[in-house]
Amino acid sequence: MPAALLPSTRHSFRPDSSSWDAMRIQDLPYSDPGVPDARSGPRFLWWLGRNQLGVQAKALAWGLLHFTSVSALPFCVGLAVQAVVDRSAAHLVRAGALLVVCCLGNALGDTFLHRAAVTNWITAAARVQQLLARQATHLGAGLTRRVAAGEVVAVSTGDVEKIGWFVEAVSRFTAAALTLVLVSVGLMVYQPALGAVVAVGLPLLAIAVLPLLPRATRRADLQREKAGRATELASDTVAGLRVLRGIGGEELFLARYRRASQEVRQAAVRSARMWSLISAIQVMLPGLLLIAVVWHGVQLARAGRVTVGELVTVYSSVMVLTYPLRYFEEIAMAYSFSRPSATRTAGVLSLTRSTETAGSGTTDEVPRGDLHDPLTGLIAPSGRLTAVVCGDPDAAGRLAERLGGHPAERSTSARLGGVPLDELSLTSARTAVLVQDKDPVLLSGSLRSLLDVPRSGAVDAEDALTAAQCGDVLEALAQASVGAEDPMDVRITERGRSLSGGQRQRLALARSLVTDPEVLVLDEPTSAVDSHTEERIAAGVRDLRSGRTTVVFTSSPLVLELADRVVLVQEDAVAAVGTHRELLGAEPAYRAVVTRETDGEPAALAAQVAGAGMPGAGASTSSRQTAEAAPGRDDAAGTLGPHRDGRDGLPEAGHAPGRRRPVEDDEGALARSAPPDARTAPRGLRHEIEENA
Amino acid sequence: MIGVAPPAYDPAAPTTASTLPVGAPATVRAYVAELFRRHRRAFLLLVAVNTVAVLASMAGPWLLGDLVERVSDRSAPWHPGLTVTLFLLALLVQAVFVRQVRLRGAMLGERMLADLREDFLVRSVGLPPGVLERAGTGDLLSRITTDIDRLGNAMREAVPQLAIGVVWAVLLLGGLVVTAPPLAAAVLLALPVLVAGCRWYFRRAPSAYRAEAAGYASVAAALAETVDAGRTVEAHRLGDRRRALSDRRIREWTAWERYTLWLRSVLFPVINVTHVTVLGSVLMVGGVFVLHGWIGVGRMTTGALIAQMLVDPVGLILRWYDELQVAQVSLARLVGVRDIEPDAGDASAEPGGRDVHADTVHFGYREGVDVLREVSLRVPPGTRMALVGPSGAGKSTLGRLLAGIYAPRAGRITLGGAELSRMPAEVVRSHVALVNQEHHVFVGSLRDNLLLALPPARLGPSTESHGAAADGDGGVGTGSAAGGVEAELWAALAAVDADGWARALPEGLDTEVGSGGTALTPAQAQQIALARLVLADPHTLVLDEATSLLDPRAARHLERSLARVLDGRTVVAIAHRLHTAHDADVIAVVENGRISELGGHDELVTAGGPYAALWRSWHG
Repeated sequence: MPAALLPSTRHSFRPDSSSWDAMRIQDLPYSDPGVPDARSGPRFLWWLGRNQLGVQAKALAWGLLHFTSVSALPFCVGLAVQAVVDRSAAHLVRAGALLVVCCLGNALGDTFLHRAAVTNWITAAARVQQLLARQATHLGAGLTRRVAAGEVVAVSTGDVEKIGWFVEAVSRFTAAALTLVLVSVGLMVYQPALGAVVAVGLPLLAIAVLPLLPRATRRADLQREKAGRATELASDTVAGLRVLRGIGGEELFLARYRRASQEVRQAAVRSARMWSLISAIQVMLPGLLLIAVVWHGVQLARAGRVTVGELVTVYSSVMVLTYPLRYFEEIAMAYSFSRPSATRTAGVLSLTRSTETAGSGTTDEVPRGDLHDPLTGLIAPSGRLTAVVCGDPDAAGRLAERLGGHPAERSTSARLGGVPLDELSLTSARTAVLVQDKDPVLLSGSLRSLLDVPRSGAVDAEDALTAAQCGDVLEALAQASVGAEDPMDVRITERGRSLSGGQRQRLALARSLVTDPEVLVLDEPTSAVDSHTEERIAAGVRDLRSGRTTVVFTSSPLVLELADRVVLVQEDAVAAVGTHRELLGAEPAYRAVVTRETDGEPAALAAQVAGAGMPGAGASTSSRQTAEAAPGRDDAAGTLGPHRDGRDGLPEAGHAPGRRRPVEDDEGALARSAPPDARTAPRGLRHEIEENA
Repeated sequence: MIGVAPPAYDPAAPTTASTLPVGAPATVRAYVAELFRRHRRAFLLLVAVNTVAVLASMAGPWLLGDLVERVSDRSAPWHPGLTVTLFLLALLVQAVFVRQVRLRGAMLGERMLADLREDFLVRSVGLPPGVLERAGTGDLLSRITTDIDRLGNAMREAVPQLAIGVVWAVLLLGGLVVTAPPLAAAVLLALPVLVAGCRWYFRRAPSAYRAEAAGYASVAAALAETVDAGRTVEAHRLGDRRRALSDRRIREWTAWERYTLWLRSVLFPVINVTHVTVLGSVLMVGGVFVLHGWIGVGRMTTGALIAQMLVDPVGLILRWYDELQVAQVSLARLVGVRDIEPDAGDASAEPGGRDVHADTVHFGYREGVDVLREVSLRVPPGTRMALVGPSGAGKSTLGRLLAGIYAPRAGRITLGGAELSRMPAEVVRSHVALVNQEHHVFVGSLRDNLLLALPPARLGPSTESHGAAADGDGGVGTGSAAGGVEAELWAALAAVDADGWARALPEGLDTEVGSGGTALTPAQAQQIALARLVLADPHTLVLDEATSLLDPRAARHLERSLARVLDGRTVVAIAHRLHTAHDADVIAVVENGRISELGGHDELVTAGGPYAALWRSWHG
């Protein structure tokens, strides 16, 4: 990451030294998009414009050529008419020659103005997109937790274009405005009496419709909003179409969509009313100016004070000048659109990470050794497969995040081989420990590119896919694609939406395995996988990771069975340690979480409820970690009481621990044939307690 | 710079195959003809007001020409007051009609667009469930978003503007002919350049703009993905790669921008030269004619001014022509849905019982590759059957066959003696429902999310069932006669344990849920799906890993709700966790497309087969 992006230097934005060198489209993307002045929207716009002074100047020059050439056409017309009035063939030819010159100037000016203006648009848009991409990766994991995620995307999809529009329009407008001044002055000199009328009229024309524009844009916005809503409804209906076709309600949703669609139509027509009024005014006002010119001019011509050619020139000029006049409206709209966009963009670009990512450690060497979380007392011995059973999935998620270092919320750092991970640089910490969270995202692209992540190189893709039992995923991918022979080349759509939940999980697991980090932390990696496959995955992961440190958060016996060491964490503290078999025998709380079964005795149940609440109460001391775990335990025990109290006031109080036998006959999906005690859920109760606290 | 070759990589090229058909040219033509017939009046009205507006706009040049004539020939009679009055009048007419042109154009465009998108959705919701299941909704989704969007521009702007432009240009040329026929001939001098230039341009432009737009969209898409996957990107240290990817997307996009810019760099001079050639030839040819005394100087002035006015309609036509070309492709994709055979169900096929029976069923998604082979099953009413087996063994496929979504390739699946695949979807779903991980919560009120499950007959007479009347955006069935329905909805929510949180919602059943509304947890979404089942009340349910995406805590809670829903129904559950299987009456182990074991839990455990082995390792 360029040092410039670090928060400490964010305000020392630097101008682009090459801002006067004309940027060419083929040189994009920028090797370095620079450090933006993101203190405010207008400052950001200014920064963007300043960075492309060269092309802006070019656009202005070509624009002047274009607009003056266009404005010279009426002069040619006037000359030609005057030539025939004067019956001079030579003058007619001269007018024709001048016309050819104007034509060349016009064609060159128009084309190159367009090229320069569009180049400004594209370079500005590319620069902002690059800045956004850098900002997004800089914020990283912090993004998903904030509103900012939506903002970044909104800026990228909508605001960039509006900013680009203004940047593009500004030089075109300047050229048009300069030309209008030039022509007004020219007409005054050429034919003072008529020119004065035009010079007074033109500014009026330029500003006449401006007061209507905000209203018109508001209506257009409303229409866009309604259209967005209708599109949302339509895509939502289509997304849930299988549900609709399976259960019913097609007519209900069609009716709803028709209403939304008709609302869009009405809003669009309302908006068109305003725009059509503007069009009418744009016809009316120049028309009135024309009439004034004609009225005044004809009198003058009759009196011999102007020639016929001059009259035609002035008339024709007014017709032509409505063209540069349009750019007054454009710039007004472009600015009113781009200002809020620029403000939002500046806001996004000035976000910073809440925690320092540079790391204070001097060495970037990746540490080795046992992974230790002082907060819970969890220890994952180096080179072993440790399974963590954690009653509360949210607590498990937090613990997993902490094990990787640099969590979103500051806390006591996890240590790897005694080195606090938070003190390493972000990159080093992530290199040492890979945490695969509950919802790993599959990035779109071919399967090959999905597995092409920074890695040790010791594990190849094939082995990882085999260990994660991805055989059927490959088959499904091969089936879905038409042309690709190699399933590795098949494209996976965004977030792997074309795959089932289980398939996605297995591919994500394969990706983590191929990385082959020193420590791999997996949070419920097989929760959506069927039992048959889960068992094979557990064996595959264990074999592939032999000699490396692996931590798996799970409650599946099939995985726990294969772990070297199983740790039960409850209330943010280690409650018991052992193998799956040992804990199953010695820890009722563990058994409750893992097998969903109990001894069936009400008394035992009660004990489990208590055991679950106060870790250690029923477990053998030999299998417990001591010193570091103790504070956590005390904490947990101390807060349990209020939890229960809070629980009693709630509607579902019938399920409260006070009712010692929380057995419901209707509990469990296929409960009928099972013994009633098979589905008692002391663990579930505890969750409800936590949930309601 | 001599030219720019089109970039090799085309971001608009389809990355996934279209899973649904694209309309044949004949279908598209038929649809366009139908659309035009439906809106003929509006179209003719647009042409009429446009004609008036253009005619009025030509009054100015005419009157000025007339004045020029009189000024240069001092003997002619002189009525400047009358001329100016006529001028004002023409201007007024022009302004009023220009306004009408824009308005009528928008109204026509909007109406056609609304028709188009509504037609498409009507067709989409009529698609057979099997087609949807196989094709997925991705292709449909891209059609209703991207293609409707592209057509939006075409319908809203291109069609009316082109109509206006063509009428305008033709009338101006007509005006020129009336003014002085030789001047009209002079205009034709410019035509070859314009035609050659436009042919060159329009042969390249549409696909180039499509690629450019797709390229730009993929710049934003890459960023959106980086943002969405923030945690994953950081965990796997993919930051550099994501930045490089964004940069690459920008390079791909800008390469197309550069190419289209080159295309315009050719088109612009062509248009400019055309305009000036038109003006120049009118002036020169006209000048020579005037010098020879064949036409008056006023005519020439009028002609030159009209020639100058030609800039606008020609620009309009060129501006919107390629939009229409792009729209053609999108239109073909939209009307393609019409080519799918609607549900070929036999409405008279009514089951005579609740017995589900599969008889030596074979099924495959592709020709010659069977996913299921020789599957025979009998599920008596009220049975709870679990399907277990490894991923890809065919459990889900069997579930979909039993739910009547697919028809077997060979063999029969019957419900109460009637063949399931021959019943229309509306009949099937009153008997059998498939519950899967896809617990979609629709954008809209909680009420609408539940009402969809009620058959129209049970909605009651006062509530709209066919979309005729509507009171506001909120939804349906809020009248007093709908009190029964209201109670039914609450009862359904209560049955799945969801009434607690539903009552706590700020506006009860009227609370907006779904994307953008009040956020529901996955478990709550699943409860809504279950409440729908209670309302739809089918006697047989196929559960496909309904709770597998939920975290264990939510799953446990939900299973309690599910149990109530299942009570008294026939259930085929695709078991994901073995405890589900353990609780079933019958377990069918599916391996490699066949049923390898069939029997009760204890029976299978005793038998010592693959199920027993799995159970032992799971249970410990």
